[in-house]
Amino acid sequence: MSAPLENLENQLELFVENIRQVKIIVSDFQPQGQSVLNQKINSIVQGLQEIDKLKSQVQDVHVPLEVFEYIDEGRNPQLYTKDCMEKALNKNEQVKGKIDSYRKFRAHLLEELSQVFPNETMKYRTSRGDDVNRIP
Amino acid sequence: MSESFTIQVADSLRRFEPNSPRSSPRGNRSPVVPRQQDSTGTLKTTISLGKTPTIVHTGPFYLHKELPGDTDLTGATNLMAHYNLEHSYNKFSGKKFKDSLSSFLPGLPGMIDTPGNTDNSSLRSIIEKPPIGGKELVFLNSSQLAGFRLHPGPLPEQYQTSSLAPLKKKQKHKKHKKSSEISIQETGAGIAGPGIGVVGEGGAGSGGESYEKKHKKQKRHEDEKDRKKKKKEKKKKKQKHSPEHPGASASIVTVFFQNEDSAFLGEAFADVIQPDEKLHGDDELAANRKRQRNIQKELSF
Repeated sequence: MSAPLENLENQLELFVENIRQVKIIVSDFQPQGQSVLNQKINSIVQGLQEIDKLKSQVQDVHVPLEVFEYIDEGRNPQLYTKDCMEKALNKNEQVKGKIDSYRKFRAHLLEELSQVFPNETMKYRTSRGDDVNRIP
Repeated sequence: MSESFTIQVADSLRRFEPNSPRSSPRGNRSPVVPRQQDSTGTLKTTISLGKTPTIVHTGPFYLHKELPGDTDLTGATNLMAHYNLEHSYNKFSGKKFKDSLSSFLPGLPGMIDTPGNTDNSSLRSIIEKPPIGGKELVFLNSSQLAGFRLHPGPLPEQYQTSSLAPLKKKQKHKKHKKSSEISIQETGAGIAGPGIGVVGEGGAGSGGESYEKKHKKQKRHEDEKDRKKKKKEKKKKKQKHSPEHPGASASIVTVFFQNEDSAFLGEAFADVIQPDEKLHGDDELAANRKRQRNIQKELSF
């Protein structure tokens, strides 16, 4: 992970920890905790300032919208990366299969055409720059 | 040769057609079609009709297109290897990832596995309706902080949210390993009450958890009773074998003391020890002797 992202992650963790501590103080508030609460509120503002300073360093980081869907559903975003890679691999295999099928079809067609129209096929292949003697 | 043959065939077809050009309004002239620049390269022949019809071939075959340039990268290549993603792919495909968000962010407190729609905390809502920003973030002064003065006491139940789900899971995991330690931990948590770090547990309030707590308390009481019984039995055994306590039957300790002024003989029933009572052993004897000395001193004065 790059340094700017690590810094941002650390700042966010500290911020969340601050919020958690404020929640604990507020849930069973005691009068002597007022000063601590005021300090925590100001530390929250400071945390927001720090996070705001870091936003310029992560401007070029683009996050796909589909990841947000995973997060909103409470799912692990690493599953999105895994699903993406699997989809890419499947699509790669599909396209490779199509290309191979078209190549086989072209070879088979040329073979049949050379039997039916030998002269035209030879002209065609010379115009394409194919090796005439090579069997397709 | 082949070209003339095709023209002848086309002519013969035209003669035998019922809709011959002769019956058309323009006669044997071809229809007026605006010439469009052919960019696809499909029309490799131009046919000029009239007195001397000629066919000018610009390519060897009909629909003879130029092939697109060969590219190195096609779908036939292994794109994972090309972009050096094989290691990442093996990592993601081999490792089993848990489906929950909390497994990705174990340090985050609270219930984060719930969908964002339920508590209006979804990221999509932030994208669709971005919050108003751009304002300067300034620390709060004392007058502004006065707005955060709170009343002492716990929050009302309606505002207490069940949280710390990951901690609960850890405790359950520990249950399978060390059941005794859990009860000790939870007794400590229970004693701490709604204090720092324990708020979520106190505020859970579910029926299953209260039943578990009662069950654990019962176990603790039973354990303590067992320990006390064992201690009593041990002490009884010690006292049976010790010379200072000859038996469990009632014993009368007589104290004789004498005063100079008057011959006085008194008896004091120090203790009547019953078999069911607790035996204090040597400590009680020492206390009795002290009392005797004090009484003697008082009488001597």
